[in-house]
Amino acid sequence: MPCKVLVLAEHEGGAVAGITYELLGMAHRVAGEMGWAPAEIKALLIGSGIAGAAAEIAARGAAEVIVAEGPAVQGYTGDAWHRVVEAVAKSESPEMVLFGHTPNGWDVAPLVAAGLGVPLATECSAIARESGAFRFSRKAFNGKFVQVIDLGTARPLLATMQKGAAPAFSAATRGRVRPVPAGVGEADLRARFVEIKKGQAGAVDLTQAAIIVSGGRGLGGADKFAVIRDLAQALGGQVGASRPVTDMGWLPHEHQVGSSGVTVSPKLYIACGISGAIQHIVGMRGSGYIVAINKDAEAPIFGVADVGVVGDLFEIVPALTKAVKEAKG
Amino acid sequence: MKSLVLVKQVPSADSPFRLNSSGTWIEEGNLTFGLNDYDRYALEALLKLKDAGKVAEVVALTVGPERAATVLRTCLATGADRAIHVKDAALEGSDPLSLAKVIKAAIQGEGFSLIMAGLQADDDNYGQIGPLLARLLDRPSATAAMGLELRDGTTVRVEREMENNRLLVVDLTLPAVITVQTGINEPRYASLKGIMAAKKKEIRTVALKDLGLDAAEVGGRAARLRTVRLASPPKGKGAEILKGPADEIARELVKRIREKTGVI
Ligand SMILES: Cc1cc2nc3c(=O)[nH]c(=O)nc-3n(C[C@H](O)[C@H](O)[C@H](O)COP(=O)(O)OP(=O)(O)OC[C@H]3O[C@@H](n4cnc5c(N)ncnc54)[C@H](O)[C@@H]3O)c2cc1C
Repeated sequence: MPCKVLVLAEHEGGAVAGITYELLGMAHRVAGEMGWAPAEIKALLIGSGIAGAAAEIAARGAAEVIVAEGPAVQGYTGDAWHRVVEAVAKSESPEMVLFGHTPNGWDVAPLVAAGLGVPLATECSAIARESGAFRFSRKAFNGKFVQVIDLGTARPLLATMQKGAAPAFSAATRGRVRPVPAGVGEADLRARFVEIKKGQAGAVDLTQAAIIVSGGRGLGGADKFAVIRDLAQALGGQVGASRPVTDMGWLPHEHQVGSSGVTVSPKLYIACGISGAIQHIVGMRGSGYIVAINKDAEAPIFGVADVGVVGDLFEIVPALTKAVKEAKG
Repeated sequence: MKSLVLVKQVPSADSPFRLNSSGTWIEEGNLTFGLNDYDRYALEALLKLKDAGKVAEVVALTVGPERAATVLRTCLATGADRAIHVKDAALEGSDPLSLAKVIKAAIQGEGFSLIMAGLQADDDNYGQIGPLLARLLDRPSATAAMGLELRDGTTVRVEREMENNRLLVVDLTLPAVITVQTGINEPRYASLKGIMAAKKKEIRTVALKDLGLDAAEVGGRAARLRTVRLASPPKGKGAEILKGPADEIARELVKRIREKTGVI
């Protein structure tokens, strides 16, 4: 059976990663719109100890799971992975190859793009047909704008898809599993996987906090964080931060909320001087009630907030601290 | 060991962002520009290796219009040794794969062992140039570095940022291309002495014809990745916006927080 959409499956030590089913969900949606047969949706699974994962994916969205197993692909390296993806893309000649916009999906997709000589759209949130062509939607300028991209007529079309771009495929399928040689020898590789290790652990655990007051780059410096601390203290809550704050060492890493920090779901989240980039939002949008204070009325954070104040945080936050103290008596 | 850092000039985050009249990009006229934040960390990573005597030369390269020379001067003032500015009107709107081809041509014969770049640019957020270049050079690469260590003259160990506070450790055989994530180090700022010294450093400007490349292949008109339109994001449910004097707003916020969450 020919292949229209090829999905690069992801797994962790043999456990299928959720993004795989979202990519399959997207593949089925695109195929449905184009009148492509579900039998033309395939997944590529690379690694070792992945027989169980392959069977699961075949039972949930992929008509065929192409499995490339071997010592050279035991742990992820872009060097090994891109060779497999390129080889399979060449032999299957799909219309489209979908990757997760994950640390490894985003790492390998450009390698494949350059190898195949085709353009790539990264961090996409939607794929649509427009004027007879596929159009890829994504955010640009750190979320300030939505960008719609056309990739031209070259095939395959390559895209990395953001988490949540499509609902995970959930229907049962009866796909088959087809092993292929990984085609990569350890001696060919210029990259060697060493290990996956835990990052540094901190003393604070925001995941359990009921109230979080977060500060962003808009604070302007470590010394300015007192306003945030005062409000957190008045409320009996914890201090959170966006990534630039911890990058610049204003606060330790464990305070960082977002895709590369912690995911929090307090009853109350107050974001001060935070623009609302997607990587931050994914870490706090599950909060019960979201307050945003930002001087820029167009800041994307207002899109997820329940209530917002457009203004200078150095005026609003101290006033709020005072009002909280008064209310508490 | 020679090293290269790829840099980009991007609009500063606090610039007034407005759409252009055709709705395909932003209006550039009233923006202020600066060095892409991610690239400052990439430059710092190389300067640190130079301080440690492990890298002999740090070269900064950008592809961009005349105004982009400013970021090269920033790199030189911060400690880079020389710079290459690829400048050609035909490159406006070129897509990432074309730009990677241009960069490959511009560094041909240089013999860089370590090529670094930011994980992504703060304007388009594509995050492609580093690995695209690596593939064109047929060299290994790693993205989103949060740790970097030259093991010896032949290997670099990279700690890549994964999700859930984990790091993937990988060894690359040099020459290699590495893109860095913000927070990997503490970028230094240019000193007055550095700014003075930078005036004597070389910025070599090259155009497509110097590289033997054809605008019909790598220029903006040949771009296959094309922005059809740019628009303000949908407002979603949108927040209720409170207005008035700060103390009044504060009382209103307390009232809502009390009603909606019960935490006060
Ligand atoms: C792979 C990857 C992972 C990432 N992971 C994370 C993550 O886990 N968490 C995270 O937060 N980010 C993460 N980021 C970074 C993210 O893309 C944004 O760059 C970051 O969230 C921006 O932080 P910010 O909102 O504090 O800064 P900015 O975007 O610079 O926003 C600052 C805001 O402050 C406002 N402001 C300035 N002064 C004032 C004032 N006086 N009063 C009121 N408002 C003011 C401005 O209007 C602006 O909106 C990640 C990025 C990548 C590529």
